[in-house]
Amino acid sequence: MTEILRVEGLQKRFGGIVVSDNVHLSIASGEILGLIGPNGAGKTSLFNLISGVLRPDAGSIFLRGQKIDGAPLYKRARMGIARTWQNMLLFRSMSVLDNLMVGPREYVGESIVRLAFGRAGVRATEAAMQERAMGILARMGLEQTAGSLVVDLPYGQQKLIGLARTLMNDGDLLLLDEPMAGVEGAAYETMQRVVRQESEAGRAVCVVEHNVSFIRDLCSRAVFMAQGKILQDGTVEELISSSVLTELYFGV
Amino acid sequence: MEYLITLAVLIALNVILAASYNLVIGYGGLSTVAHPIFFAIGAYTTGLLSIHVPELPALANVVLGMAAAVVASVLLAGSSLRVSGDYLLIASLGFQLGLLQLIRNLEFTGGPGGLSAIPGTIVGPMRGPLFLLICGGAALACVLIIRAIVKGPYGRAIGAMRDEELAFTALGRNAMSMKIVIFAIGCGMAGGAGGLYAYYFQYISPDQFEVLASAAVLTMVVLGGMGTPFGPVVGAALLLAIPQAITFLHLPQNIMAPMQGIIFTLLVLVFLFLRPAGILGGKGHPR
Ligand SMILES: Nc1ncnc2c1ncn2[C@@H]1O[C@H](COP(=O)(O)OP(=O)(O)O)[C@@H](O)[C@H]1O
Ligand SMILES: [Mg+2]
Repeated sequence: MTEILRVEGLQKRFGGIVVSDNVHLSIASGEILGLIGPNGAGKTSLFNLISGVLRPDAGSIFLRGQKIDGAPLYKRARMGIARTWQNMLLFRSMSVLDNLMVGPREYVGESIVRLAFGRAGVRATEAAMQERAMGILARMGLEQTAGSLVVDLPYGQQKLIGLARTLMNDGDLLLLDEPMAGVEGAAYETMQRVVRQESEAGRAVCVVEHNVSFIRDLCSRAVFMAQGKILQDGTVEELISSSVLTELYFGV
Repeated sequence: MEYLITLAVLIALNVILAASYNLVIGYGGLSTVAHPIFFAIGAYTTGLLSIHVPELPALANVVLGMAAAVVASVLLAGSSLRVSGDYLLIASLGFQLGLLQLIRNLEFTGGPGGLSAIPGTIVGPMRGPLFLLICGGAALACVLIIRAIVKGPYGRAIGAMRDEELAFTALGRNAMSMKIVIFAIGCGMAGGAGGLYAYYFQYISPDQFEVLASAAVLTMVVLGGMGTPFGPVVGAALLLAIPQAITFLHLPQNIMAPMQGIIFTLLVLVFLFLRPAGILGGKGHPR
């Protein structure tokens, strides 16, 4: 298995709070790594450090063996780091399709020069991107929502659109921040199926999730985090039976 | 007739100013008050060039005026947006007041008295109509260019950036460079309008680019409908035409003078409460 992401000695603090304390992590292609831990453990912060929203105080991040410490947020996305958000951050004034259309790693609509002088190419790329977006929506059974405003959809579907938008980035690494929170029924099944498909297609996936059965169904390996530290790294079964986890997480 | 043409030229130039300001604040979501100072940069650059470098053609002078506004805007946005979006608001105000102070204190800009004796360029009885044609054409071009920018793939990106900048950037979009480009296009258009203004009126004064001018452009954009392609056209026309229309009523001066201020204030208040999205913005709040 090829290693996609490696994190070495990541350190980050906000004032007195240490959100990342000498974090080491490695995720391989095709792997779904579960990241669990109590609220405030630093899981979202770790995603922010990996994707480039935050700068670490120390430590390094490698993507496919290449050090990316200097790359800003938008460049890391273009390098293939795709992520979702705990609170979705959908483009609320826009349609579902338009939400997805902004997502590809290369976006033709970003350069006015290109738009002004390469109209035919732009039209072709837009058509191809639209086809890809509709394909992703179809996989989720959401193609009929393409024209709706995202805010008009039920919560579970909004969560799926958040994933769909991120999947427009066809990079090697997928970071999912609590994809299941508040999701149930059909949307739950869909989310689970799509995440599995993405890993089978070769992506490295890391998922933050409180839903233990979701983690158990999808992940072969999981890490447990608390107060910025990774306290356990092993198979899901090992983790669930661990006394550290039950004490800190379930408060037993 | 002469008077009506002057009014129409003024409306056309203010349409450019308001439409480009709308691009920057209404569509781009960038907070700045300094828009008239870029009009001033264009006007002074064009005016000074036409006086001191008479061999340059008028068109080149206007283009150089635009270029000066673009360069200034890129420097301002590039340095302040790196700090934060709110910082641009403060920096733009400081830039406007500082540059005006500089213009007032320099010899070659004409100081507080303004820059006069700008060559008329076009002479003869057709001067007015020709200028109206040029300014009207430029206004139309600006409005159409802006509409083209805010539609299609670029407009989609602008909308997404305004909705959720963090998610937008994390999808691989360079929000910073897009903001600078939008700001530069808007300010460049304002600079071009300033150049045309200098040629038509042959006189510019630092007083006309004060914060009051910023408030006037903002009012045009808000009245017409912020974030709509044709709102600023309506706003600019109304704001310039209404005071003129009132003068036709031939009211005594002691009623006339406060009248305009009262009407403006009333308009803004009425719109704030009844139609916050502006005349063309539909009902409800602007995005
Ligand atoms: N930008 C920030 N500034 C200050 N404190 C922050 C910031 N982001 C997160 N924190 C704090 O860091 C801690 C970890 O937060 P987070 O990474 O969101 O935890 P988790 O996702 O595991 O629930 C929390 O105490 C949170 O309040
Ligand atoms: Mg979190």
